[in-house]
Amino acid sequence: MSADNILQVRNLSVRFGALKAVDDVSFDARQGAITAVIGPNGAGKSTLFNLVSGAFRPHSGRVTLAGRDITGQPPQTLLAAGLARSFQITNLFFELPVRENLRLAAQFVEAGPWWRGLRPVQASRAALQRVDELIEQFDLAADADEVAGALSHGQQRRLEIAMALASRPRLLLLDEPTQGMSHADTQDTAGLIRGLVQRGLSILIVEHDVDLVMKLSDHVVVMHQGAKLAEGPPAAVRADPAVQAAYFGKEAQHA
Amino acid sequence: MDWIQFVLAPQVINGLAIGVAVVLMALGLTIIFGLLDVINMAHGEFYALGAFLAVVLIGLGLSFWLALLLTPLLLAAVGYLTERTLIQRVFHSKDRHTLTLLLTFGLGVLLEDLLKIVFGANPLRLETPIAGATELLGLFFPNYRLFVMLFGGAVIAAVWLLVFRTPLGAMVRAAAFDRHMTASLGVPVHQVYAATFAFGVALAALAGVLLAPMYSVFPTMGRDFVFIAFSVVIIGGMGSIKGAVLAGLLLTQVQSVSSLWISPVWSDPLLFGIMVLVLVWRPQGLFGRLGHA
Amino acid sequence: MLETTLHPQGRALPAAPNRGRRADALRWIAGAFFLAALAFGIVAWAVGDVFFLRLATEALIYGGLALSVDLLLGRTGLLPLGQALFFGLGAYVSALVLKHWAASFWLALAVAMAASALAGLMGGLIAIRSKGVYFALISFGLAQVVSKVVYNTRELGASDGLIGVPAAQLGAGLSTALPLGFFLVVLALIFATWALLSWLMDTPFGRQLAAVRGNEQRLAFIGVDPWRVKLAVFVLAATIAGASGALYPMLRGFVSPELMFFQVSGNAVINVIVGGTGTLIGPLLGSSLLTGLRSVVGSWTEHHHIAIGLLFVIVVILAPRGLVGGLAPRLQAWLDRRRDQELS
Repeated sequence: MSADNILQVRNLSVRFGALKAVDDVSFDARQGAITAVIGPNGAGKSTLFNLVSGAFRPHSGRVTLAGRDITGQPPQTLLAAGLARSFQITNLFFELPVRENLRLAAQFVEAGPWWRGLRPVQASRAALQRVDELIEQFDLAADADEVAGALSHGQQRRLEIAMALASRPRLLLLDEPTQGMSHADTQDTAGLIRGLVQRGLSILIVEHDVDLVMKLSDHVVVMHQGAKLAEGPPAAVRADPAVQAAYFGKEAQHA
Repeated sequence: MDWIQFVLAPQVINGLAIGVAVVLMALGLTIIFGLLDVINMAHGEFYALGAFLAVVLIGLGLSFWLALLLTPLLLAAVGYLTERTLIQRVFHSKDRHTLTLLLTFGLGVLLEDLLKIVFGANPLRLETPIAGATELLGLFFPNYRLFVMLFGGAVIAAVWLLVFRTPLGAMVRAAAFDRHMTASLGVPVHQVYAATFAFGVALAALAGVLLAPMYSVFPTMGRDFVFIAFSVVIIGGMGSIKGAVLAGLLLTQVQSVSSLWISPVWSDPLLFGIMVLVLVWRPQGLFGRLGHA
Repeated sequence: MLETTLHPQGRALPAAPNRGRRADALRWIAGAFFLAALAFGIVAWAVGDVFFLRLATEALIYGGLALSVDLLLGRTGLLPLGQALFFGLGAYVSALVLKHWAASFWLALAVAMAASALAGLMGGLIAIRSKGVYFALISFGLAQVVSKVVYNTRELGASDGLIGVPAAQLGAGLSTALPLGFFLVVLALIFATWALLSWLMDTPFGRQLAAVRGNEQRLAFIGVDPWRVKLAVFVLAATIAGASGALYPMLRGFVSPELMFFQVSGNAVINVIVGGTGTLIGPLLGSSLLTGLRSVVGSWTEHHHIAIGLLFVIVVILAPRGLVGGLAPRLQAWLDRRRDQELS
């Protein structure tokens, strides 16, 4: 595992009106590792994700990807730089078949000038090959020609991740990938994520399932009310009293 | 001083009278949008229907004042029926935004054709209900325009109070904010939708009656007028009552006063240009909330 | 009612469960349409009926406009209520070229297309930033504004428009004054446009349009800038509309501001919806049927508009997929059954 940081976030802030949704947050994500962002509801995890992935522009701070400043860049530029994300609320092309969803995402691997987008789809061999790879990797072969909207929730969540992976990014942002999944599906997904990292990918993950995060991640960042509360290896973070207070504050008082 | 009294003031006063009618139209549009999330492309035709209905009622012997009262009520009933029988049928489909747009667009075309068939394409005229002018503060106010300003202003104030200061208004605002929650609280959502649509349509009809004596009445009068109303709603912000009032009054003033210097041909382009600029600078309009339309 | 929260994916408009296979049925329908049009033209000429030949040509010209609307509405999910702007622009430019420059078919067509593309770029830069009703209103507003200016410009003939447009020469002695000849030329052009667009729909760019329609937000996150896609398709649609408009003065010998009015834009949308949004051949069919209907019914009574308006409202409520949208899946199912039978 390399000691280089694939992602560096420094003093990132954004406010919506009077609310400081993300307040001066700084952390690093190491190359080839799984970094998790956790925190109670309303901590600002999704907003942080949106800032890093180009959905919103921050008011201040810097985001660096493998040494390159990507602060405030739009999502399509970030994809070209090697950053891709999946969505917490399934955000597929529901009316299109699974295969087409993947092809749209995989088209990125077709190099060439813009007018190559005017050849028939069948000519995009690299993209179509990538689609076949992803279908196999994510076990979607049985329903590859079904409309994405017809899939089960678990399958849709898998497709979400597959689409984010299609462009062969360096850093993958997973926004609550196991949201709404059954226990079995969650375990399968955890295994899948672990497998991705073994192939050299770096992952930044937001998760609600604290147990999953503790087992899966190499590095944890805890957020609370927009600010970073703690950062470190899973065990250390779990033992941190400030973190416990943030999650279980009221119960601790009653105890 | 003379210029102010005899050139500028009449334009401002005229602009205010039109402005009040535009605000009523825009309020109707924005309320329908704010609650039902429906863009009523037929709004201009309901405005025209209001004017025509007034002409018919007056032709049957009723006084203008009675027509002024009856027309919005009658058209409210038409609006209620339209919403319950037609619009609600496409309300819950996935493509509801496009479908409701197309449906109301089609209704507008239908209504306009209907008016052409029944009344012919020639413009009709209504006599001014109150002739003469009143002098106030050295300025001359044509009496009817004064009436329009005062009456329309009163209705606008009443709408404002209704929406923001009554329990009914609170319920309507809650339903606009979260449809499903309100339904599960036992509010008869279907009736609320239909009633809101009816209310919006009634406001358009009222504007039609108010302006009928000032301009001629013809089947395509809705098309031009609704463009102004839509521009006002977009500039003021979709779903914003405050925006509709402010933008409505302001923009009609701009149109009125600018007509002193530029030919009327450029009046619409000017308005359009302002609308585009506002959309570029603030896509949600002056007071709108993002996430609408 | 409340099912919408439990089942977010409802019936789409149009439903395309398996696009690749549905294309078979659409191609059959298109083939039938173009053959029927060819037959119609030849029969009309043989019988000596110039009126119907010219009417059919006009139906095809409006079909081109309908194609441009379908490209925006059916494929990209943008409702244009002012596409007549580019149609009328193409018509005026074509008329001016024919009258004052050279009576050449190709020159008039080329200049009109260039002008429409440019106008499409300018209009697109304004309109593309918005979606939904904002886009519809800006499109409407643009047409409203420009048509008013044209209506009041004396150099362009003001409310009377431009008359006395000469017939255009196509080379090899062919002229647009020949009813059958011009009909065949227009048919060929419309066929070429339809074929080009059909082919485009199976390219990565064409598929991006469907993606914009389905989930514009996601596009940026898979590396495609939706703004560029929308601007490109807007310019393309404007060019097609302008090219169709350019044919109008060649047919009728005059142009007037009415060509830019809302009636024309509205009719185009109606033609598309009734014919079948998103199918490309549907709008051509709808345009042909309704143009014919408007003319034929219009000769009996002044009230043909209301009949069509009524038809439109009924279609939107009961059959939003339109004629071809409803027919194609059934035809496809039949074709598939036949294919399965042949294989067994």
